[in-house]
Parts: sequence; structure tokens; C-alpha cells
Amino acid sequence: MYIVQVLSTTAPLMLAYYLASLGHSIVEKSGVLNLAIDGVFVLSVAVAFAQAIYTWNNPLIPVVISVASSIAVGLILVYTTSKLPVSHGAIGLSLMFLCYGLSGVIGVPARTQQGLTGQEVGYPISPVSSVWVLLYIVVVGLGFLLHYILERTKLGAMIKASGEDPLVAEALGVDVLKTRILAGVLGFALIGLGASAFELLYTRIWREGTGIGHGWIAFAVSLSSGRHPLLGIITAFLFALLYEYRFSILAVGLPREMADALPYITAITAMVIYMATPLKTKLKTPKSLGKPFFKEERTI
Amino acid sequence: MLVEHIVVKEVTKRFPGTLALDKVSFTVYRGEIHALLGENGAGKSTLVKILYGIYTPDEGEVYINGKKLVITSPRDAVAHGIVLVSQTPTLINDLTIVENIILSLRHYNLFTRTRRVYSEVYSVLESLGLGIDPNTEVYKLTYTQKQMIEIARALLLKAKVLLLDEATSYLPLTEKKKLFDFLKKYVKKGNSVILITHKLPEALEISDRITVLRKGKVVGTVEKKKADITVIRRMMFGDTEFAPEAIKQRESIGNGVTLFIENLWVKGELGEYMVRNVTLSVRKGEILGIAGITGSGQIELFEAIMGLRKVERGIIKIDGVDTTNKDTGFIRSLGVGYIPDNPLEHGLSIDHTLAENIALCPKYSSFIIDWHAIRQDADRLVREYGIVTPSINTPIKLLSGGNLMKMLISRELEYATKLLVAYNPTRGLDEYTANKVRRNIKEKKAKEGLSVIFASEDLDEIFELSDTIAVMNSGRIVGVFDKYRATRDRVEELMVM
Repeated sequence: MYIVQVLSTTAPLMLAYYLASLGHSIVEKSGVLNLAIDGVFVLSVAVAFAQAIYTWNNPLIPVVISVASSIAVGLILVYTTSKLPVSHGAIGLSLMFLCYGLSGVIGVPARTQQGLTGQEVGYPISPVSSVWVLLYIVVVGLGFLLHYILERTKLGAMIKASGEDPLVAEALGVDVLKTRILAGVLGFALIGLGASAFELLYTRIWREGTGIGHGWIAFAVSLSSGRHPLLGIITAFLFALLYEYRFSILAVGLPREMADALPYITAITAMVIYMATPLKTKLKTPKSLGKPFFKEERTI
Repeated sequence: MLVEHIVVKEVTKRFPGTLALDKVSFTVYRGEIHALLGENGAGKSTLVKILYGIYTPDEGEVYINGKKLVITSPRDAVAHGIVLVSQTPTLINDLTIVENIILSLRHYNLFTRTRRVYSEVYSVLESLGLGIDPNTEVYKLTYTQKQMIEIARALLLKAKVLLLDEATSYLPLTEKKKLFDFLKKYVKKGNSVILITHKLPEALEISDRITVLRKGKVVGTVEKKKADITVIRRMMFGDTEFAPEAIKQRESIGNGVTLFIENLWVKGELGEYMVRNVTLSVRKGEILGIAGITGSGQIELFEAIMGLRKVERGIIKIDGVDTTNKDTGFIRSLGVGYIPDNPLEHGLSIDHTLAENIALCPKYSSFIIDWHAIRQDADRLVREYGIVTPSINTPIKLLSGGNLMKMLISRELEYATKLLVAYNPTRGLDEYTANKVRRNIKEKKAKEGLSVIFASEDLDEIFELSDTIAVMNSGRIVGVFDKYRATRDRVEELMVM
């Protein structure tokens, strides 16, 4: 029974981390370094919350608008980095701070209204009912679907080609900009979905700054799974577990700072393991990740 | 009846500081193999890249089947039945063969399973004589296999015009013959081929007509029947004289051993042994040529000599100093020059200027860089090797492939005092420059006692340059011959044994 309790309490956060990390992996597989992820995550959390307040906790609209806002920011990132010779890092971080600011602008009025109406948001996942099982099914199903798309379809080959060597990909007939936009739409939609799950299934409250840092955890989930959709299921579960049970870890006597750093230590350890073993050929970073890509330059 | 297939009219293309093509016009007829010749930097590659949509012309027009076209991307070109196969394979190493090929096939939608193309790819590969599983990742293939994959791709794309930019230069003889037979059949079906090559006999053997470019201009087009090698040479190089190669080689070999390798074992990229129990020595003033088909372990052997790859077992000594698993900086400081197999990635920094690339040489890299000396040397090398560049302060990515190679060779040859380790030292060079490079190597060996170990897929070069020929096959040295005792047949036999 203890296992069921662990699985059920970890389910909502795992879903949120997994969706966001899966989206992040797809974006990065196409060659776009996504340092905006934490900002986008926080913005989508705020949008989901605000829309839930304004629509009296409608189950659909907050998610749709949250996903749309994530895609909108994502497209700015993807378009500028693929069309112009600009630094992926600079654009990503600028967008992150912009999103932090916007999340306040969007969330605070809704929070004020919540204070007046007492409207509650989200849907608690009860360990007693079996809804949590459904969340795992969604995670595993999506994992296999995305793995299939990446490894078995033309779209997957296009995304990987754009991330490995965009100039060669272009010469082979791939429209790198279009491919990255496609990957961006898909990826940021998943990040937005993850953020909505975080707000509506996990925290179900909002104050300024809700979600900050969790985008980075999704980033770490993606990195430590080598951007692999199926491995990501395991790392997302592990990270959600570490976060959910961080107080239990504190109880063992570990300093709080150490407990907070655990997800990142796990990520670094995982990456070291990959790089030191034959896994590195399968799980390595896309070769052109974060490199400016210009078509017009003379190549030899 | 001759039908015009491709017509290029007055095409001009400028790059910063250079006029790559100057009002170039030429015509390719349906069903012909048209060779495009010219010295390095003549504009051949630029011209086919324009046809393939990698560059757009500044002026001029391109007509295909009588229709004026503006080709702005390779996708466009493919849609019009034009496919380019270049000297460097344009494939993504981490994807499988099928994945690489499906990227180009437009009639499949985004969610087409790669498996659907599998059998199609398999049968085309088989028709080219390649029995490879299409699900193999490209990085596991040899250079020759990659080139054949490119040709297979062109066929799957239903190419009507095949642009071969030095694509045949490094194919082993047997593969080349197969390919030429295939091309002859291919053009009989009403397709056309534009072939760029540095090997005049090759061009004369296979093409129907030959167009010569020089410094971005068309010198003329001749039919094969009326062409002979001296006429074409004159068209390509003007009245530049071809100095005969008359340097006495034998006397210059001394007794001391410069490079000594014993029982060497080196692993390749995938962890399997690529160099197996190799024992070799190169005497002072000796040129050792390693013959072998690509991927026989030559690259790994050279990387081990240069300290770029771990030696698992065995010893390497340079001039008596044990250099086994020593770092590259130390090995180079002994006076060792190196021309790697992938010059653009491992020999040059293409975003930097010519002078800066010369400054990378260890002899300049003390605490303070002596820019004055570097500029003087750079100017001299540009003059001596005829490197075509607007200035020594031009980023070298703006230079043509052949000029990049000249710049690398000049630097390394200048630097090497004891030993030169070279992989395909004349890759991508025109006949004149290649001759000159070989002569420079021989001169340096004769005058200064430089020892050379080089590998080449070009047997002509092996026989021309070497004092001693070693044949490498599957990581082992399977035969060592004195140049005068070796026969071509025997060497070829050992290469493919």
C-alpha cells in the first residue's frame, strides 16, 4: 500500500515535469537551446491560474490559453534564433525574464479577484480514486508516441537533422526553419500543458513567483534523460519523487540546501554516467544545439 | 539531335574580395556527360552550387529545358531534377541511411514511417553493388560507401541532372569503374551529368564534352574527339610550364631512423582495433607511402603518431624519442608537420584569417606573438604556393577548397623539419598545384633530409612520390615494397585482398 501512496502522491508533479521536459527535449533536438523554459513555465502557470479564475474553473479554457501563450513565446525564441545570427542563450534568458514579469502582470489581478470571490482552481488528485493511474498512462503513452515520432518517422528524422547539422539538413532538402517551428509548436505546447498540470493538478494555488525553478527542474529532467522520451519517464518520476519527499529527506538530517540541490546533483550524475559509458552515442547532445545557423554564408 | 538541357547565360557571382564567376555561359545537352575543368579557384564548384541553389547568381540566367528558372534552394533544385553529389559527403552522421534519404524525398509526408522507404533504398543500394543494411548509422560507413549512398539518393530523387563535384576523386579504382559504367547507362536514358574532376585522363575517358574555366571565366568548350590532354592543359593553366619531376630521390635516404613504430595497436571510433600489430620504420630522407582503400586504418595510424589517438599497445619513436601516448604539442615540437584527413576540421580554423592560421603553428606561439614575422611568412607562402586570396587578412572560409588545402600544406611543409605525416596531401588540388606540392615535398626531403609518411587513395600518387610503398589492409601492413620492385597489380591485389 505504501507504494500506491508514493505513486499516487507523485503522479501530478511527475506529469507536470514529464510533459515540460518532453517538450523541452523536442525543442532542443531540433537545435534550439531553450534557456527560456523556466520563464515560459512560470508564465503558463500564471495564465492557467488566471483563466481558471475568470472562467470559474472551466476544465478546458485555462489549459488551451496557457498552451497558446507558451507556444507564442516559444515561437519568438525559435524564429529569432533560426532566422537571425543571434545568440540562443541571450534570447532565451531575455525571454525568461520577460515571462517572469508578465506572469506577475497576468496573475496578480486574478489573485485579487480570487481574494474577493474565493473561487478555487484546479482538480485535486485523490489517492483513493484511481484517477492517478490515468496520469501514468498518459505519461507512458506520450513517451512511446514521441519516441515513435522521433525514431520512426520522417518528421523525427527532420527534427534530429536540424539539430545535428542544419546546413547539411538544408542541403538534403529539409526546411530547417519550418522544422524548428514545427518542433517549437509541439515542444512548447507540451511545456504549456506541463505548466497547466502543475497549476491545476498540483499546486492549485497561485502567488507571485509560483513555478519559479520548476522549469529548470524540467530542464534537468530532460538533460538527465539524454532527451530520450522513454528514459525521461524514469527521470521525471525520480525528480518528482525527490521534490515531493524533500521534507522526508530533511528529516533524515540532510541540510535544506543539499536537499534543494538534489535534483541537479542527480542530473549531473546521470550525465556523467551517460558520457562515460557506451550510452553516449545514443544520448549525446545534438551537435548544433545553440549554434547560430545562417544559410547565406559561404560554405566550402 | 542535340536538345539543350541546361543553359547558363552570363552568370556572375561575387564573394567579398573575389569575383568567383565572371559572365559564365555554357550549355549541357540532354544525354551527355559534360566535364567541367579548371585549376583551383577557377569557379567550378561555385557554378554547380548555383545550379543546385546553394548560391544565387548576382547576374545572369539559368534555363532548364528551355525554361528560365531561379533556383533559390537545394529543395528547388531537386524539384527540377537537379542533384549535387560533392567531394565531401553531405550526410548527417548520426542518422541512419534511411533517415538521411527520407529527408530528401518530398512525396512522403511528415508522419511517413521510415520503414516504408527501407525496401526502396535497399534495392537501389543493391543495384549499385552495395550490400549494406539501410538502417545502419552513417558514421559507421567508409568514405566510399558514403559517396555511393549519395549517388543512391540522387537516383531515388529521380535526378535528371547529376552534378558530381569531385565526387569520384577518392573512389577506389574498382568502384570508379562501376560508377562510370553506371553513368554511361544513366545518360543513355536522356539524363545529363556535369562532372568536375582534377584528373584530366578521367575527364577524357568518360565525358562527351569538356568546358574549361579559368579565373571565373569560360576559356572554351571542346568535344572529346577533338580534345587531347595538352590542349586542355593549355586551356586550364595557360602557358604555365609543367616542370618535369626530375629530382634524384634515392641518394637522399640516410641511415638514421626518423620514425619507428613497433607492434602498434590502436582502436577506432567504435572501439574496435583499426590498427593491428603494425611495425614500420621511416629512415631519414625517406618517403613512405601507405596504399590502402579508405578505412583500412591509415587515419587511426596517423592520429596515433600525432598523439591524437590512444595507443593501446606498441611503441612509437620519433628521432629516437619515445612519443607513445605523448601529447600532440610535444610531438609537433619535435619538428613534425601534419596534414590531417579532414583539413577543415582538424587542420585549419576557417573563421580565422590566413595570417592567424599561420600563427597557429607552434613555432610562432611563444608568449608574445610576432605578428611581423607571421605576416612576412604569410605573404611569402601566398606567393610561393600561388594561394588565391584577396589578402592575408581574409577569413579563410572565403577561400576555395583547393586554396585552403594549399594554405595548410604550405604551412605544414614549412614547419616540418624532421617528419611530415600527411593524409591525401594533394586532395582537391588541380594537376599543376598537386605536381608542385609533390615537388616541394621531394625537394625538402632531398635538401633537408625530411622524412615523410603519407597515405593516399590515389595509387598514381603513391607510386610517384614514395621511395617505399607499404600496403595497409584491415589495419595490418600486408606488404612493404621498394618503389622500383612494386608493381601496380600486386599492390592493388593486396589492397583489396
